[in-house]
Amino acid sequence: MSEERRDALKIIGAIGATCLFPFQADELYGQHEHPQGKAAIHERKFFTREEFNVLTVLVDEIIPATDTPSASQAGVPAYIDYVANKNAALANVCRRGLTMLAKKKFTRMDSAAKTKFLSKLCESAEAARKKGANEKFWISIKNLTADGYYTSKAGIGEELGYKGNSVLESFPNCEVVPEH
Amino acid sequence: MASKVYDVVVVGSGAGGGTLAAHLARAGADVAIVEGGPRVNTRTDFNTHSMPYEFENRAIPTMKPGKQGFDSERTRGVGGKTMLWNAVAWRLGERDFRGKDYDDGAGENFPFHYKDIAPYYDKIEREVGVCGNLDGLEDLPDGIFLPPVPMKCSDRIVQRGAAKLGVKVIHVRKATLSVPRNGRPACHFCGNCMAGCDVAAKYNSADVHINPAARATGKLEVLSNAIAYEVMISDENKATGARFLHRATKEQGEVRGKSVVVACACVQSVALLLMSKSSRYPTGLANSSGHLGQDFIPHFTGGIECFLHELMGKSTVNDEGFLDHAYVPSFRHVDKQRGFARSFGMQFNYQNRRSVGWTRSIPGFGKDYKAAIRKRYPAHLVFSPYGEMLPSKQSFVDLDPERKDKWGLPVARRHLTYLENDMKIFREMNRWSVEILKSAGAEILRVAEKPASNHEIGGARMGMDPRTSVTNDWGQTHDVSNLFLADASVFPSASEKNPTHTIMALAARTAEHIADRLRKGEL
Repeated sequence: MSEERRDALKIIGAIGATCLFPFQADELYGQHEHPQGKAAIHERKFFTREEFNVLTVLVDEIIPATDTPSASQAGVPAYIDYVANKNAALANVCRRGLTMLAKKKFTRMDSAAKTKFLSKLCESAEAARKKGANEKFWISIKNLTADGYYTSKAGIGEELGYKGNSVLESFPNCEVVPEH
Repeated sequence: MASKVYDVVVVGSGAGGGTLAAHLARAGADVAIVEGGPRVNTRTDFNTHSMPYEFENRAIPTMKPGKQGFDSERTRGVGGKTMLWNAVAWRLGERDFRGKDYDDGAGENFPFHYKDIAPYYDKIEREVGVCGNLDGLEDLPDGIFLPPVPMKCSDRIVQRGAAKLGVKVIHVRKATLSVPRNGRPACHFCGNCMAGCDVAAKYNSADVHINPAARATGKLEVLSNAIAYEVMISDENKATGARFLHRATKEQGEVRGKSVVVACACVQSVALLLMSKSSRYPTGLANSSGHLGQDFIPHFTGGIECFLHELMGKSTVNDEGFLDHAYVPSFRHVDKQRGFARSFGMQFNYQNRRSVGWTRSIPGFGKDYKAAIRKRYPAHLVFSPYGEMLPSKQSFVDLDPERKDKWGLPVARRHLTYLENDMKIFREMNRWSVEILKSAGAEILRVAEKPASNHEIGGARMGMDPRTSVTNDWGQTHDVSNLFLADASVFPSASEKNPTHTIMALAARTAEHIADRLRKGEL
């Protein structure tokens, strides 16, 4: 992208406490404020402390910390607790699975053993598409973890590098792919 | 209020009702709009600039806390669906108006030609502002456009792939301002158009038609929170107004008019007439043809979710824009041997980058899973072809004999059966979508297995024969001379093109007709 185009992509005001609309017609529509976006915080309500601990270890196996936060650091267990508290069917699937993992002493397995155990479960659920209780549990937890993580501030912002929700003066021309 | 008799009572305030009411008020008529939902302030009531993590359930709600509106399909709000639409604004072409002639008798024709409607498209484009490129396509007529918005890099990649197959990709045309116009600012590309545009750069009927006309003329009143449940009819077979329930109190009210226009979004318009039974019209008002509720022909979509190889692993860019910036216009209709009637067009790239549901479907877990998603995020693209459905006896709207909504009104039901021609289009448009994406270099994540409906069209079609249609070419019902319809329910043929621009153009035309008849004292 050329320097000139970089200018055209100028972000006039990131959406935050106050967003600026330096446009004609400001008077008509009035300048106004957007509330500062806050990450919603949910306290554990549904799972027991033991279940929640297993859940925390499990979601970090699905999305571990790398150069960006892990699922638990992004608040995914609390998000799953929020959903379970509202959805009885899903809550039961999760609870059965977490109990199964507790019985296997999942949290005390070493890293290689955890990976081996989950690889089997993942293979059976995603590749072989088996429909047993454990497979259902895997699919549910993985979906919830993906949803919770990639909609979190850490997930969409730090990990994915989301760059929208801003005020652009104009939409930039694509410089890297010519028109056909 | 009860004693006042308006010149025109308009039920509904969206693209059809809002346009028509504003045009009539400006022509000097006394107009009342009956709208089931509340007034909505685009500046303050929508979550335009929100992110999912601001909400516990990670879903951005339509309304801000404490703000009312869009709580049911009967109680959306002043402005109706134009508040939350994606603003795609095509003119239909001659083939769309005369599909029956082009396709050996399949489906129906509109009772007029493109040239009859073209001046009204002109008028609407001047009023609302439509951005687009002059493409010179016979099937997708050019209009009076504001400058087009540049395509995204991902659009260009699709365009290049399509070009190899001889398929054209053009700039989208939207009723969203690319330059300031009539006191409205240009779009600022925050990428959340369908959450409600907080600056009304995207057209909505309240900010662009209703409110300015009400201020300018003092002749347009909006009765909000008024859920119409009956169009009243006199012994002389004239519509005399509408009865409604207050959205919050359920109190009954009525508003009287010399003429009545029903424009409450296709299915709800049909439902209102079906509810308005009388001894003269035992199966619903203006239903002597038996076609009320029939000929229901919403668009159906396919859909492909994919990742463009060329963008995988690249850094993210700020490219939500105003959602889709490009379009694949119908191209199969020119092939006489294609084996089906009608055609399809392809919208694509209108997901925004806050939509991350696809991350569930990437296989595996752990560091590899996380890396696979990061790599694909800048490359994610959704392709959404839209096909035209042919009318059949199996697809219709009726009222549920059992279920009532919270106001005690019967729930409208949509019955849809996709027949052979529809399924041929569905398979063909998915096949072409995959071909184009493969040619553009894409990893396909999934292809829709079944058609899904969108853009409600039909149910009270217009035509010259009162035995087979509900209204004439002016949207005037054949049965009741001062009762009109002004939304997509009157379309006898759906086209594959998004309907709203045509809803507005026909509403402007019907308004002109009503104003003329009011002047002559005929209503």
